[in-house]
Amino acid sequence: MLAIQLAITGLQTGALYALTAVGFSLIFGSTRIFHFAHGATFVIAAYLFYWVYGTGWGLVPGVLAATLGAVFFGLVLDRLVYVPIQRHEGSFFTVFVASFGVGIAVQNVIGMIFGRGFTSVSTPLSRSAEIIPGVYVSPLAWIAMLCTALLLGGLHFFLRRTHTGAALRALADDPELVRTFGLNPRRIAATAFVVGSALVVPAAIITSATTGLNPTIGHHVMLISLAATIVGGIGSIPGTMLAGLLLGLAESLALLVVDSQWTEAVTFAILFAFIVIRPSGLLGRVVAH
Amino acid sequence: MSKAFTIMGAFAACVCYAMPAAAADHTIGALFPLSGPNAVYGDVFMAGSDLAVEHINADHMLSGPMSIAYEDSQGLPQPAVVGMTKLVNVTGVPYTLSAFTGVSKAISTLAMRNSVIAVNGGGVGPDLADLGEYFWNVIPLANLEVRAAVPYLVESLGLKKIALIYVDDPLGQALKDELETEMPKAGGELVDSFSVPTSAQQFSGVAAQVRATGADAVYVASYGNQQLQIVKQLRDNGVDAQIATYSGYAVPDALALPESEGMIITGQSVDFSSEDPVTKRFVDEFKAKYDRDPTAYNVNYYNATLLYGILAAALEADGTAITGEALLAKRRATKSFDLVGGTVSFQDNGTLLFPIEVKQIKGGRAEAVTSVSFN
Amino acid sequence: MEAYIYNLVNLIAIYAILAVTLNFIMGYAGIYSLAHAVFFGLGAYVAAWVALHVHPSIFVTLAAAMASAAALSLLLALPALRVRGEYFVAASLGLQVLAVTVFSEWKSFTGGIGGVLAIPPADVFGVEVFKPQHFAIVSLIALIVVIGLINALVHSSFGRNLRAIRDSESAAASFGKNVPMIKTLSVVISAALAAVAGALYASYMSFINVESFTLDTSVLVMAMVIIGGTGTVAGPIVGAALLMLLPSAISWIDFLPQTEVGALQQIIYGLGMTLLMIFRPGGIVGRRAGV
Repeated sequence: MLAIQLAITGLQTGALYALTAVGFSLIFGSTRIFHFAHGATFVIAAYLFYWVYGTGWGLVPGVLAATLGAVFFGLVLDRLVYVPIQRHEGSFFTVFVASFGVGIAVQNVIGMIFGRGFTSVSTPLSRSAEIIPGVYVSPLAWIAMLCTALLLGGLHFFLRRTHTGAALRALADDPELVRTFGLNPRRIAATAFVVGSALVVPAAIITSATTGLNPTIGHHVMLISLAATIVGGIGSIPGTMLAGLLLGLAESLALLVVDSQWTEAVTFAILFAFIVIRPSGLLGRVVAH
Repeated sequence: MSKAFTIMGAFAACVCYAMPAAAADHTIGALFPLSGPNAVYGDVFMAGSDLAVEHINADHMLSGPMSIAYEDSQGLPQPAVVGMTKLVNVTGVPYTLSAFTGVSKAISTLAMRNSVIAVNGGGVGPDLADLGEYFWNVIPLANLEVRAAVPYLVESLGLKKIALIYVDDPLGQALKDELETEMPKAGGELVDSFSVPTSAQQFSGVAAQVRATGADAVYVASYGNQQLQIVKQLRDNGVDAQIATYSGYAVPDALALPESEGMIITGQSVDFSSEDPVTKRFVDEFKAKYDRDPTAYNVNYYNATLLYGILAAALEADGTAITGEALLAKRRATKSFDLVGGTVSFQDNGTLLFPIEVKQIKGGRAEAVTSVSFN
Repeated sequence: MEAYIYNLVNLIAIYAILAVTLNFIMGYAGIYSLAHAVFFGLGAYVAAWVALHVHPSIFVTLAAAMASAAALSLLLALPALRVRGEYFVAASLGLQVLAVTVFSEWKSFTGGIGGVLAIPPADVFGVEVFKPQHFAIVSLIALIVVIGLINALVHSSFGRNLRAIRDSESAAASFGKNVPMIKTLSVVISAALAAVAGALYASYMSFINVESFTLDTSVLVMAMVIIGGTGTVAGPIVGAALLMLLPSAISWIDFLPQTEVGALQQIIYGLGMTLLMIFRPGGIVGRRAGV
């Protein structure tokens, strides 16, 4: 019974991880930009939702505010930070450091505005109901899993069946070749940022109602996104989502064996193992050294 | 290279000018969490200590004005050590207020090596009683709280099986040890204990484990925002058992949480309606200034500050210089002190005994159920 | 007042050692590690344990600290260096997070969150050194020795190999250089010298706990290297001094509440890193962009 409950809890956590990581994976996979500030996008979206919803404007304005904020932030970062860097040097690490710096700054600004304590959005949806004896699931868990499924399907359709999706996949394969087809790699990259940043919103909203918010969660979000992207395989959206689910499951089921302090370490032990043994991840392409 | 030195030189000059101005006549230190996740406690502690400073200065208890040099410990041992080093080496205080078990343990060595008195009014880890003669406690420690809670839970409420969720740090571990010892004595059992890391915010897994134990009651030993999340998620995940906790839960956010309804909480027993002049003045002016009722934490830091005032005034009357050693000697020589809550005496190990109250949270307030005295 | 300055000097020296050693692998070898605080911490814990249970002589503690950090880094460099740059960053991130958990849980060795108390002061040839002004002599000598060692390595053929690998790994390999071996060796050296900083830190503070060795610390050291200037001699030292003096400089601003000093410090070096990467990736001491 406990194992089943932990498995279901794990799937819920995993669904959130998958939702969180998929935006980063899309951006990194298409543009090869190590967008460490993705965690900051998450924090901005979550706090905007918390603020708008909390001041009584309602769910839809809250979601809208979060989406607009996330997309705006992603675009601004691309325009003002990544583009100038790529223009003169664009080494992977320079971009990473710049992104990291922005992430730290945003985290602290949010802390100054909203305070450093934990806040959460109160909703009856977080209350669990007993579905079978000994197993409790909350409506939010179902919502999270539903979102994950919908997003997986939606992204698959978008990437495989639309022009923009094809352009994104082309960019991931070979940015220079994209130019010969008359497409502008910069504009496609911007699209990646728009879509990738918007994808963060469902996870941000659900997290605000379940685990709660704190300016430093951006770090944790980023670590999970990175772990899921690598374990799933860089460039593979289904891989990332699968990896997110698996990491959530592993973290939860680990409780059967170890104390809860070690669950975060389990995630990183898995990441480390994959990097050393199978860097291409679960579903990614083989990595040349 | 020379450019580097210019920059360093400029900054060094800035630092020199940034040094604090000469301290006021009487300065004591305070290591409170002013930022970070536990900043809410810092505000609560400061409310008490600041009020005491106002009263000491208004009464002209000391030859010169008194002030407190606050340093931010963030509730964490490392920043606290940095702050304490500054208080000892730069500000040069003979006496400092301390809070949080981990912080207090960390600075105790510095206090002892530099003969500076450190007074704790907020941490409740039982090993705080063993930190040397320069470390005093004006708050009853958690072992007393557990010793009051356990008989009530087991005998009066008939809850024989307790599960414990504790934060994995000195405080949590101390409470776990206490429960392990006390439960069997009262005829109950600590069926299982689950430790959580200090940064954890997700407890559905732990809640599931607690449910699986079939315990009648759950004891929550954590602090700050984490304890709120634990209680909320326990309820969210179908744990209906009685929840009990210690005095760390007595902060406004926690008491106001809807899921806290019905929780048993222990804490220092302070008779706020007492007519004795020190208590009455404290209660009236606290209410007037902050527009809410005082809690034990406010009392303790008021007392800790007032204690300095009393001791320093006595030393001035003797014509002795005010140093840590002199303050220690004076405290030992003084039979009793009139503080908020009554007239109290220090035990040899530098702790004060207060009775413990067992309370229940109803409608956002903690109502007393019973009181236990230790002598 | 002097105690304050000497205290700062000691802390700057210790963090400068960390920055210089991180710069060795980042600036010269092109290996980007977010796990530097792990070796800092390991050095500190080992030094503390040795000082408490074996002998407080600084030479004994330093040796033990360096040996343990070298061993740990060896175990981890060997597999992880076979992969590309971004994977190594992720692996080092994973190691850092794992290490924090181990530091928090291995209570018999590290004391958990409660930390290690009452570490004996450094014993140099029988003399107990703990006052800030005396310790400053020890820490500055250590810094100079570390800088000297690193410089010697950089200007040797080993250093040239490193830079060749940084600039193009495949080219270096085609010249017959044993790339994994050289990279591993550089990581081991960097870790062992970072442990020196750890040993100094433990005996100076007389109290250590896991909070000093978290991801935040690794990031701070990385910021020091980057803001100061990677691949230069003075860069890391400038970066270390600047970032350590930042909190004092900020508390000079009167209207700012005490509680926001930490946040402002982080905002400054966060934005500082970003702006530098856009306009001057070489850092303060390095070259302008595009030169």
